[in-house]
Parts: sequence; structure tokens; C-alpha cells
Amino acid sequence: MIELNTIRPYFEDKPDVLDEILGRYPEYGRRSAVMPLLWEVQRHERYVSEARIVEIAEIVGLTATEVRGVMSFYSTYHGEPVGKYHLQVCSTLSCKLAGSDEMCDHLEDSLGLVPGETDTEGLFSLQKVECLGSCTTAPVLQVNDTYYERVTRDELDALLDALRRGEMPTPKRAREGDNAQLGAAPLAGEAFEAGTAADAALADAEAAEPENPEGGAA
Amino acid sequence: MSGAVADKPDTITSRHDPRFEVTLYKYVGVEGAHTLDAYLAHGGYGAAKKAFGMEPSEVVDLVKASGLRGRGGAGFPAGVKWSFMPPVDGRQRFVVCNADESEPGSCKDRYLMEDDPHQLLEGMMIAGYAIGATKGVLYIRGEYYHAYERLRDAIEEARQRGYLGENVMDSGFDFDVILHRGAGAYICGEETALMNSFEGLRANPRLKPPFPAQAGVYGLPTTINNVTTLASAVHIIEKGADWYAAMGTDDSKGIHHVQISGAVNRPGVFEVPMGITYREIIFDLAGGPKGPAKAFIPGGTSCPLFPFDDEHLDLPMEYAAVAKAGSMMGTGGLIVIPEDQCIVDAMYNVTRFYAHESCGKCTPCREGVSTWLPKMFQKLLAGLGTPEDVDLMEDMVSNLRGTAFCPLADACAWPVQTSLKYFRNEYEHLAQHGTPLHPRKDRWQS
Repeated sequence: MIELNTIRPYFEDKPDVLDEILGRYPEYGRRSAVMPLLWEVQRHERYVSEARIVEIAEIVGLTATEVRGVMSFYSTYHGEPVGKYHLQVCSTLSCKLAGSDEMCDHLEDSLGLVPGETDTEGLFSLQKVECLGSCTTAPVLQVNDTYYERVTRDELDALLDALRRGEMPTPKRAREGDNAQLGAAPLAGEAFEAGTAADAALADAEAAEPENPEGGAA
Repeated sequence: MSGAVADKPDTITSRHDPRFEVTLYKYVGVEGAHTLDAYLAHGGYGAAKKAFGMEPSEVVDLVKASGLRGRGGAGFPAGVKWSFMPPVDGRQRFVVCNADESEPGSCKDRYLMEDDPHQLLEGMMIAGYAIGATKGVLYIRGEYYHAYERLRDAIEEARQRGYLGENVMDSGFDFDVILHRGAGAYICGEETALMNSFEGLRANPRLKPPFPAQAGVYGLPTTINNVTTLASAVHIIEKGADWYAAMGTDDSKGIHHVQISGAVNRPGVFEVPMGITYREIIFDLAGGPKGPAKAFIPGGTSCPLFPFDDEHLDLPMEYAAVAKAGSMMGTGGLIVIPEDQCIVDAMYNVTRFYAHESCGKCTPCREGVSTWLPKMFQKLLAGLGTPEDVDLMEDMVSNLRGTAFCPLADACAWPVQTSLKYFRNEYEHLAQHGTPLHPRKDRWQS
């Protein structure tokens, strides 16, 4: 695996990053820095190697086993590198009812991977994950840190094509059900009319959303 | 006609009531609402200023009088919780915001944090002032990266302009927030597990007592509340306890955020007055079920499910009525299950979630939830089950109830137990024929 970077301690040339993380917590709570330090390393190296675990343990004054114990408790830290694009399919109930099983099958077929695998080029890895908190915009696919909500088959194919070209598309805004966009509550007896105010607001929001989350590898 | 079954005509219990106004979610979904300038432009941080002019005990009393209950699922009265803090003794005190929203079906906190982060910071500040805590901890689940970025930027902006830090808004009160990311563990929603996680430990729940007010973060006095609970405090200070209490029922006052997903025409998050009926939520707000429905889960997957019938649709969404009918209001994550979805398959999905999320600390949960229950489901779904297996599963879930260290095992047992109560025929069909009554179908929109 990619161990090249491990020759040099990760934080050696990043004292400001280290100080910022340690500075968040009170002196008696130095151990709290374990999770953000793991995040920092993983964000740049796509996993946390043994060497980094030892380094973090030294920084916070724990044993490597203690840090490993913390890391292994949480499901989003990786002990091995994931692909440049880590595809995480939410598979819990709301997403299942919106077709996440079929979406995962489609990804398996398209990528030639089963969940848990990374391709040989290190471009894609596929993982089934538990509830991502995007239930009202199911099904959701998380690519690295970015949520793609209410993904359709066509959109997924287009997304994979873009990723293969090295592009991280801006996610569509997928919240037409939000009451903020439904406007004022209708009078008693009237049902909300689909396709009117909500859709207009959605169209506006889509037109005005240039926001671009992190592109590329986490 | 649906909706509007008010038990008291003078309180607001329907979204159709013309007096109802969206407050917490007013700026959610509004472009650009997340900046400090946008927040200040509509009176942001005015409630905190108002609170600083009151005695901390008055703030606690006001929140008590409003009837606000915890919106993370348990529904504990927020003002009462705040009053549990011991007398000020010079030790550091903390207000913790539980933003580890992980209950399947729930996403109300994410939207609020992404689109209106200052509202939450102001709520934490008010709570901090009320309980004498100069430090806030905002524990957000790791997957919510966009919300994390928005909060990180909001905190930075607030610090630079004197809305966080020493002598906040020249009030003489110091308040700052530590933003901390989780890393994918449902159990961190349990308050003491969250505190262990924040301290850099494995997130096993702690034995209670001592409760957080006595020994919370780093063993220091701590109050922990959910995102929308804290944000509600902003509006209660601003508009008064009476405004809040004028919505909902005697048992459950104020507002809640229903997150409706599953087989409905218009899934989404809706701010509603308490006491609204499930019928109004499902039919009027969410546009009705997509095809015939057979069940709904009222408040996230850890709640017992209800059959999709008149009796349950007409229930008012309030803690007492839902509890009396055998379920919980939970987080308000409402999931509608369609008629043609095999209930055994759906419950295996739910069980698999809890099996994955069990922390492994105690035996009933580790062996029952994490090991045996999913195995039983796999056996049934593989067509290898027997009618005795169904009895055994029923026995297992009843033995899980109330026997584990924390509520996670109950959370798994409840929906499974009620599915056996209402849809036992589907389990028996699978056991007898080896095939489900409702075969799998493609549910993905093209």
C-alpha cells in the first residue's frame, strides 16, 4: 500500500495545523484531539496508517493501542486506503424504500466491485453505509464528503462519467419538500398543490446555487 | 376531510391554522441565509441580547413555562433539565449540543445547521447563559461535512465580530463553542456515549447516575440538548413562553419538525405544531402515500410501527397519545412503508442497522441485536426458516426489551416486535413457503 509518506511524520511540517487542533480543547482534555487528528490525516491520505497512529499517540500522550482502539470503534476511519472517489451508498430503510438496493447493484455492475472493495487503479471504492441522514431526499450517495441526493439512474451514470474524467459535479438541490419552499400554509381544507409554489421556489434555488463543495479526493 | 382535529380550539394544532407561522425553519432552504450578516439582518442574536438582560434563572423559568421538550427523541422537558445543574462553584461548566443526528428517518438538524447555523449558535449561547456555562461543545456527526463547514465558518465569523468569545456583545458573558466531528457511530447520539466520544474514548455509554449535570464532559457539570431544542430557545426568548405554549396540546406544546420519507408523494421536512394528526402530515403535507401503504413508523426506526389505518392516522402527534397507542414520537422521522414491501425484509434492514451500530458493551445487545437477530432474519429470508423460528424471534425480541445497558437494544426490538404483532402472516408465509409474500421489486426512480 501507499507507505511513501509515512517516512516523514505527518505533522512535522504542519505545526500550525497541529496547534490549531490541540488548541481547541482545554489542557486537561488533550485526549479529545484524537478524533480530529485522525480526521486530518485521513482527509489527506485517504486512510490512517500504523505510522500515523503511532505519531498521533505520541502527540496526545496515549499508547498506539489506545488510539487504534478509538479508531476501530468508528466506521468512517479507514485502516487501508480507499479510492480517490469513495462511493458510499446509504442502505438504511428510507433509502432502501427509494431504491438504494438497486442503486448499489447498479454500482457493483458498473464498477465491477462489491461493497468493501477498491479498484486496482485506486480510482473508486464502494461501500454500503448506514443512515446518512438524508432520508427525505433518498436515495443518497456520498462521494467522499459530498452528498448526492435523490439520485436517479441517469444521474448516477452521468456522475460516474464525470468522476472518471476527474470532475466532481455540483450536487443538485433536492429539497422540494421543504416547508420553507412550500411557503405559507394553505387555508383549512386546501391541500398543498404540488407543482406550483414549491416547484417555482425549487427552480429559483437551483438557478441560484453555485455552491461547490470539496472537489477531488478527501 | 383531513387534518384539524384540535382538542382545544384555542391552541394551534394544524398547519392549516392561519395563525401558524414557520419560525425555526423560516430561513432553511433560503439561499444565503447562513451568513452572519443575513442572520443579523432579520434580528439575529437579538434573543441572546434579551436573555443577557434577564437573570439566568429567569431564562430557565421561561423555557420551563414554554413547555419545550427535548426534540432529540426522548422528550424530556428542556427547562427542567437546565435546572438540574448544580450551584455555580467555580468549575468549568458545559452546554453540549447533540448534533449526532443518526436515527434512521431523521434529517431535521442537518438542514438547520447547513442553512441557518447562527440560529443554533445563538441557542447554545442562551442555554450557556442560563446554566452558567461559558463553553459550548457542538458534537456533529462526521458524515455531515457540509454542515460542519457551515458551522466552522459561522463560528469563525462570530468570533471575529464579537458574537462569540470573551464578553459576548459587551454583555460581560464569555461564551465560545468547540466544534467536534464524530466519525460514524449511531451510539454517539446517546448522551453519555457522546461525551466519551468527545473525550477521545470509544463511545460506550456510561452508567447513570451520575447524570451529565453532575458529571458530564470531562467529569464537569454539563447540560446536553438536541439541535432543534436549542434553536427553539431562541424563539421562546424572543416571542415569549406563551407564544410557544399556544401551539400544541396540554401534553406536548410548541412545534416539531416532521421528516417524512418512504412511500409518499412529497417527502420532506415540515415544521408543524404539536398535536397535528398523522393524517394531515401524510396526506396534506406529504401529498399522500405513493400507492397503498401498510404501515408507518412515527418517529425514526427505533419506534414501534403503526398499521396504516384510520385509528393510527387520526392520532395527534404528541408524546402522550402516541405512547398510549404503543409507540413513540421520537425524532419525528416518519417513514411510510408501502403495501408491496416485504415487512420481514424491511425489518431485517432495520435490524442490520442496529447490529452494525451496537457498541458491544453489554451482552443482550452484542449477542442479541448484533448476532442472533440478524442471523434469524437471514435464515428466514434465505427460505430456510421454520414456523418455530418465528416464535423464537418473538421470544428473542421480548427478551431484549429492557435488558440492555442503554436503549439501543430496545430501539431494535421495538419495531421488530410490532412487525410481528401486526404482520405475523408475512413472517409465517416466509417460514412456510420459503419465499416472501411480497417479492423484491425495483424501487429506484429512473
